[in-house]
Amino acid sequence: MSQTRSLIDKQGRRTDGRTADQLREVKITVGVVKNADGSAFIEFGKNKIVVAVYGPREVHPKHMAQPDRCVLRCRYHMSPFSTDTRKNPAPSRREVEISKVMREALEPALLLEDYPRAAIDVYVEVLQADGGSRCAGITAASVALADAGINMRDLVSACAAGKVDDKIVLDINDTEDKEGGADMPVAYMPHLDEVTLLQLDGILTKEQFNECFDKAIEGCRMVYEVQKQALMQKYFGSETELKEEAQ
Amino acid sequence: MQELRRKYVIPGDKIVDGNFRPSMNVIRVGNSIFSTRIGIAEAGREGIKVIPLSGVYIPRVNDVVIGKIVDRSSLSWDVDINSCFTAHLPAQDVFGRDFSPARDDMNRELATGDLLTARIIAFDRTRDPMLTIQDRDLGKIPRGESLKISATRVPRLIGKRGSMIQTIEQATQTRVLIGQNGIIVVTGRTAEGIELAVKAIRMVEEEAHTSNLTQRIKILLNVPDTTPPQQTSLPSEASATKSQLSETSNQVSSSTSQTEIQSELKGIQESHTEGQEREQYNSSFPQQNPNVASAMPISNPSSSPSSSDSSLQSSPLEGASESEKNRKVDKERSITSSSGTEARKTKSAVKGVHEGSAEHGKKEEGA
Repeated sequence: MSQTRSLIDKQGRRTDGRTADQLREVKITVGVVKNADGSAFIEFGKNKIVVAVYGPREVHPKHMAQPDRCVLRCRYHMSPFSTDTRKNPAPSRREVEISKVMREALEPALLLEDYPRAAIDVYVEVLQADGGSRCAGITAASVALADAGINMRDLVSACAAGKVDDKIVLDINDTEDKEGGADMPVAYMPHLDEVTLLQLDGILTKEQFNECFDKAIEGCRMVYEVQKQALMQKYFGSETELKEEAQ
Repeated sequence: MQELRRKYVIPGDKIVDGNFRPSMNVIRVGNSIFSTRIGIAEAGREGIKVIPLSGVYIPRVNDVVIGKIVDRSSLSWDVDINSCFTAHLPAQDVFGRDFSPARDDMNRELATGDLLTARIIAFDRTRDPMLTIQDRDLGKIPRGESLKISATRVPRLIGKRGSMIQTIEQATQTRVLIGQNGIIVVTGRTAEGIELAVKAIRMVEEEAHTSNLTQRIKILLNVPDTTPPQQTSLPSEASATKSQLSETSNQVSSSTSQTEIQSELKGIQESHTEGQEREQYNSSFPQQNPNVASAMPISNPSSSPSSSDSSLQSSPLEGASESEKNRKVDKERSITSSSGTEARKTKSAVKGVHEGSAEHGKKEEGA
């Protein structure tokens, strides 16, 4: 991964005008797919991703069912129109891999043993991609699972950090991902303080790794606030406190 | 121990620190209790619990559900109960213990596509739910318009002591059968009445968590708001006793002279499932006007034989449910009927004509 041009200007601004610690704008809408049991739409910068959750429901094919717990199935898919050149809609190696890591990032948050012999299907459809779509997908999937009323230990928030111009920055975008030095997606359960996904593409020193990891966790906490806000808005409107009924 | 205030929670939210007993939809991590669902956290008699606001139906023993026959084997019917598990209704339950597959014609009693009201008699982690129709008011539903709502909205649709559903039934001249699994069957004399009832039910489903819903339902149904001003306080303390409640009920019955409910009660009862961390929750959603229930007529127990032992749907706020719960561990919940004939098991029932709602196809595989 060789860097050919400067991605951070003299004022410390990145290609899209952000500072090193700044997240792209994140917006989550809950309950956009009426047919699904739970759903969410996330705009993470220029990423646009819709997630639909079905289940717990009957497992087909039956032999996949587990007698003691629920099966979680994840499908990450990029629409043909999600990138500047047409993407073949058939599942690519990358999509199969991301489906797997997403499933493994969400599994620790779910109480799958509460639903034996059933299945939960998570469909992640990327409508527009701009780097960091797996993080955005995990974030939205977690909200959609909560919307579906599936028992969860905690929400999962995900955010990437990386190295650009030898500087550690939060939430790298597509250009920084392709031309930068390193990309580290992290998924994190904020209340339990546990990491469910940690990947790294690139080379970092030990100090850089620690800084990058801390920055990603910080980003996850910011994302969590947006998730929480979105769920509260859907279920409780603008009220944050429950009004006690008159005695 | 600290006092727990009811509050809104999402998965992962810490509800309380300390040595509390976790009840439904919560987990203990270390010395704290966390929510696992979106809903309202509160402290009940059995511990800390969260009343969920979303989710699919998970069967529980003693739930009265409305199901649809989807298939049959030589010894039992398979029933779709709007859950991830297909329920089974043994043929012996219908034909008696001397059932013989060679002699008895199962299709004569229940054919594929028939709707029925049934009670879950057995369900655990290893087995699919087992149903029975051997009880009052259980059995085939001969006619009606069926629709599906979220199972979490059922308590709100019933309302405090059946207030919401009684309002709808009275105003639309219909009868509404409600299964705990979120399947509803509306019957009535006129298509307009049924249509209006369905519209009101849909409105309850969509706006279940908003305030003053009962008022808006009344406006939709053109029902005058008859809340008597003197009855602005019902015991809403969790400590309210049953005697308090029944006293209040009597007051209400006598003061509201339009207690002319000829429709059935929706006595879907609370139950305990043996030692599980689940229980029947009868919730009213937040922001519900506590005074609304007092305006609603209470059915006369004499007109509905089982209403005295089938607790009416009530919210945890009213507390009576809490005190009654222990007494009614194994008591049947039943959909009772004052006239008591339509929903009742009738072996000679006319072959049903029920208009399956398009909703049934809602969650098709691969949708």
